[in-house]
Amino acid sequence: MKWGYVVGAAALGLPFLALLASGFGKDPSAIVSPLPGHEAPDFTLSDLDGKAVRLSELRGAPVVINFWATWCIPCRQEHEVLARGAAHHAADGVQFLGVVYQDEPESIRRFLARSPVDYPTLVDVKGQTAIDYGVTGVPETFFVRPDGVIDSKKVGPLDPQDLERRLGPLLATGGGS
Amino acid sequence: MNGPIGAGAVHAALACAAFGAVCGFVGGRRRSMDAWRLARGATYASFAAMSLAILTMVRALLTHDFSVWYVSRVGSLETPPFYTVISLWSSLEGSILLWGWILTVYAAALAFVYRRRHADYMPYTLGVLLSVSAFFTWLIAGPADPFEPVFPVPSNGPGPNPLLQNHPLMALHPPMLYAGYVGMAVPFAIASGALLRGRIGTAWLRPLRLWALIPWTFLTVGIVAGGWWSYEVLGWGGYWAWDPVENASFLPWLSATAFIHSLMVQERRGILKTWSLSLLMVTFLLTILGTFMTRSGVFNSVHSFSQSSIGPIFLAFLGVALFWCAGLLATRSELIASDGALPGPASREGAFLLNNVVFLAFTLTVLLGTVYPLLAEAIRGVRVSVGLPYFNRMGVPLGLAVLSLMGVGPALPWGRSDAARIRAQLLWPGLFGIAVACGCVAFGVVQPLPLLTFGLAGFVTFVTLREFWVPTRSRMSSSGAGALESLFHVVSRARRRYGGYVVHLGVVAMIVAITASWNYKLKVEATLDRGGSFRIGDYDVTFRDVRPVEESHRFSVVATLDVARDGEPVAVLQPRSNHYKIMGQFQREPIGTPAVHSTAAGDVYLTLLAFEKDGSQATIQGLWQPLVPWIWWSAGLMVLGSFVAMWPERRRRGRARGGVDGEAHAPRAEPAPPPGQAGAAAAEAAR
Repeated sequence: MKWGYVVGAAALGLPFLALLASGFGKDPSAIVSPLPGHEAPDFTLSDLDGKAVRLSELRGAPVVINFWATWCIPCRQEHEVLARGAAHHAADGVQFLGVVYQDEPESIRRFLARSPVDYPTLVDVKGQTAIDYGVTGVPETFFVRPDGVIDSKKVGPLDPQDLERRLGPLLATGGGS
Repeated sequence: MNGPIGAGAVHAALACAAFGAVCGFVGGRRRSMDAWRLARGATYASFAAMSLAILTMVRALLTHDFSVWYVSRVGSLETPPFYTVISLWSSLEGSILLWGWILTVYAAALAFVYRRRHADYMPYTLGVLLSVSAFFTWLIAGPADPFEPVFPVPSNGPGPNPLLQNHPLMALHPPMLYAGYVGMAVPFAIASGALLRGRIGTAWLRPLRLWALIPWTFLTVGIVAGGWWSYEVLGWGGYWAWDPVENASFLPWLSATAFIHSLMVQERRGILKTWSLSLLMVTFLLTILGTFMTRSGVFNSVHSFSQSSIGPIFLAFLGVALFWCAGLLATRSELIASDGALPGPASREGAFLLNNVVFLAFTLTVLLGTVYPLLAEAIRGVRVSVGLPYFNRMGVPLGLAVLSLMGVGPALPWGRSDAARIRAQLLWPGLFGIAVACGCVAFGVVQPLPLLTFGLAGFVTFVTLREFWVPTRSRMSSSGAGALESLFHVVSRARRRYGGYVVHLGVVAMIVAITASWNYKLKVEATLDRGGSFRIGDYDVTFRDVRPVEESHRFSVVATLDVARDGEPVAVLQPRSNHYKIMGQFQREPIGTPAVHSTAAGDVYLTLLAFEKDGSQATIQGLWQPLVPWIWWSAGLMVLGSFVAMWPERRRRGRARGGVDGEAHAPRAEPAPPPGQAGAAAAEAAR
């Protein structure tokens, strides 16, 4: 009986198994964004009716910026969550903004006619805003504190719990009016 | 009805596998022939039940039975029947079903082939194999159940992942890879059985070698087919990206290759026993690790199509298997003590050991690179991946070391040798290698690494062909037979050795082709109007038109280009861009299909990057990929070599070996069938 083999397997194998286990529950494809903790890049974009919205003018209230598109299936799933969230938090002064990413105004209009939202839907014609925010795909959502600093970023569709969890710190920093 | 039938069959297979495993262990321990017979019967029954399960799933897919959960996930009314059938392995649950079925095929084959032989340890072997089988069947019955009922029944499904329905090679790549992965459980079970039995002798080494070569061959085909698929589908012109899942298939291949080599030394000299067994066990563990990597969602890969909850289950299984291996080696260490010592570094044995060290270093290098993102995050809290530069920097020298050893090893004699003889053996191949390198310089190759590679390839080819030529020539002069007949005689007298050499030639061809395609690739990107053209290498590519094509499951944009060489038209290529239909909607992100014109010198490889909707203009990427077809062909050579090596030996009936035949050049290349094998068969027959 040579216990060395078992000891060796335990010494090398267990840390290795623990290392593999450390990856559970994490998204290996997540890209770490440098933006949270920094000021949100300012933009001026027009909505579907041509009315301009400037981000820096919303300073003082929490802002949720959602990059989406009608051709994106997860965005459609998330749409309902955002619509309800915006209605629910309107009293708290939270401003939601939809920024449409690589899409045709016609299909946006058609989609919104069926599933309307109460917040502005902005068209990022040249995609410059998406570039400024380092958007790699849709949906991506940025949570901006009342002082204009990005608090967190969500890659992929939001669910109601996640939305509430991320809005929490924004409301706590005095965003409510 | 498909759901209940399939689920019932899987549960029956699970019961049979579990019962058979118990019978196997009991039969091995009590040396009971009745239990051994029951174990075999349970194995066949488990195979039959799993076959029914997999056929039921195929039927459910073909009849679009969306009440079956797996069909509702990967089926769709629009997908053509061929891709509907192969979507069996396009997602986790179906893959594991196929996996479990292949395992029962192996188990049934093993039970049948050895029903009258090796009865002293085979019951244990079957017990181990059926235990592994029971684990996989349990996964199919529970945590990864593809037959789960769906309610309400959807009217259509999303279809398989678009990438997987884009090329017929998908029909070949995963099943081959799985046959390779799963098959590594068989030599593991044989070794476990022999160790559990105790007194082992050498009889078990033959089945061990055969059943290691079979999955090794499948794994080779699976890996190369995967590279080919990636080349034909992904459109970036590459075939290997050191993606975690590619690495997962490469790791057991490396360790299995090392094992096959060290086993030869063990059979011949009775040394390196613990080492060989450890390599075999590492190989088995790496196949489980590979499954974990593919299916746990812990690694970032184009292949990790599903994140699932079975990761922790696989991790637990990996842990159990690890301690099983360590426990076996610990409790049976006296059985696997070496019969002698290594004769010295400048011997065939020494070269084999060095080969093992290089292969193991290669395995560890790839493993480290693959788990590095996890390691970095655990230690430094940041996610970094090492990527291509690391693997290339580490892989190239290791690959060159493997290449050199393929030349040096066969040139060295077994046992101790003097320096003069070694010099004589290496002189001509060395000179030939230098001549090849000089020839390459004359053709304009100046970079040191390709020169070194091509020179070494010449060296290895010379050594290998000399191993064929010298005995063939002596056979010709002794028997007066023709060259082909003599060659056939020589090879058939030592199939294992010559099969190995054929594999070596395949590996050399592959390394040369990979080196050429990496270093001498040409790339052109051009936006062309109709009739516009560009030149790549010796070829002129002219854009004809681009038009839409609609099929039931996809919408494609197809560009047509004429390829000419020296003004002579040689091919019409149609690279395309496909949008697959998912839930009735065409996906936005297209999947390209490049078009390839293949010749022995290389491929013209065209990809459609962009186009004008009116069809007037297209942006085409053209690549000239030297020698790439040789990568696929060399895999054929490797398979041929494995077949030669696996082909059963002709029984020699006590015929004295002639002095001047195939064996004259290297006497005792093939050990006579170990007496234990015949003895075991006789013992069973006598019972």
